[in-house]
Amino acid sequence: MLVEMVIDGMDMPEDGTAGDLAADLLVRVAGGDQGAFAELYDLLSSRVFGLILRVLVNRSQSEEVLQEVFLEIWQSAARFAPNRGQGRTWVLTIAHRRAVDRVRASQSSTDRDVRAGIRDIGVAHDSVAEQAELSIEGERVVAALGTLPDPQREALVLSYYGGYSQSEIAVLVGAPLGTVKTRMRDGLSRMRNEMGVNA
Amino acid sequence: MNENEFAVLAAGHALRALSDADERRYADALLAHPEWAAIAEEDAATAALLADAAAPVEPPSTVRDSLLAQIGQAPQSDAATGPSTEREPATRARPEPRQRRWSRGLFALAASVVLIAGLGIGAAVLIPQLTQPASVVALEKIEAASDAQQARVELDSGAQATAHWSGSLGSAVLVTEGLAALDDDETYQLWLVRGEEALPAGLFETDAGAATALVDGTMREGDVIAVTVEQSGGSPTGLPTTEPIIAIPTA
Repeated sequence: MLVEMVIDGMDMPEDGTAGDLAADLLVRVAGGDQGAFAELYDLLSSRVFGLILRVLVNRSQSEEVLQEVFLEIWQSAARFAPNRGQGRTWVLTIAHRRAVDRVRASQSSTDRDVRAGIRDIGVAHDSVAEQAELSIEGERVVAALGTLPDPQREALVLSYYGGYSQSEIAVLVGAPLGTVKTRMRDGLSRMRNEMGVNA
Repeated sequence: MNENEFAVLAAGHALRALSDADERRYADALLAHPEWAAIAEEDAATAALLADAAAPVEPPSTVRDSLLAQIGQAPQSDAATGPSTEREPATRARPEPRQRRWSRGLFALAASVVLIAGLGIGAAVLIPQLTQPASVVALEKIEAASDAQQARVELDSGAQATAHWSGSLGSAVLVTEGLAALDDDETYQLWLVRGEEALPAGLFETDAGAATALVDGTMREGDVIAVTVEQSGGSPTGLPTTEPIIAIPTA
């Protein structure tokens, strides 16, 4: 699997010229190519699982969601439009949506509350053996987050990793809803400038 | 709606943070203004970058096996059947009636306000902990709890294990030293033993015998925190298959 993780690194469009391997694989998956599906899984599963674990913390729930995510990818790969964005973005968007939906739907309020305490200060996953070893890209993201004004960073972290909605965040941070909405737009916009994103 | 208002909605959508009503406004606006799709795509790409700040974790191989077995049977939809998934209104994907959860969630929120009140202070707290393992943060929280407790055992091998827990947090962390290295096809597995029942509570690896492992699930006072050696990926049956090498009662 390590080899694939390296390939995943190459897939990162750092210079804007690298091919979009995930997109190529998705197109083949849409045609029913099971080998391409296995390749896509090997390429992205540890990144997807890391994200789901970050949001859900609970390992067995995260494994279930990981499975749901890749089943959805198998079933709906035909809806991926290569001209409308990166394959990797498409996969991570599905993973994030399913992780957040699960955290909202299935974890009891107490669980969520306890986890919120753990999670909202921005935590990773559940074994120290898995020391956070960030990719270069990951470190750039953390650095870019660090350049945001605190309220913007807080809005992004609470929503993306915490699974909180805008109205929940407004209550949590004691800001008007409209302000929270604007902070998200401004925060993403600054991240984009810092990171040089192309859709 | 003007483009600026749409950009605000698109950011909330990319972070999956919109209310159901706003999610519908977003979807309607996108249908009415296909020229704004680029804004939505940029935001989706930017939000997806945030995934990189979570370190990759290799999933157990059982998930891969199970998926490859399932896709042989699972039908695929064609492109014509619907819009791209990422643009689906949230209401379709959300299984539960939100009203009910929201009212229940309010109590949690009231408590959360206390827990994360320090958040606004910001960067200094947030960024270093972004990369800190959950177990380490959990341990800090347990130690800060008013009902923090710990118990230590020493194994015949000389290895030591200390359980730290807080009944009010429902959270426990096991810290080990000197545990034997395992073969590649073995792993240490945590259990919460509650009466007759053993609940799987996560796998952990050691680094030179040392580990700080978060006990998965909600621990209750009276549970026994136990560790067994299982095959790689954890006990396939969900039950311990070997005698525990560590067992620490929390009552």
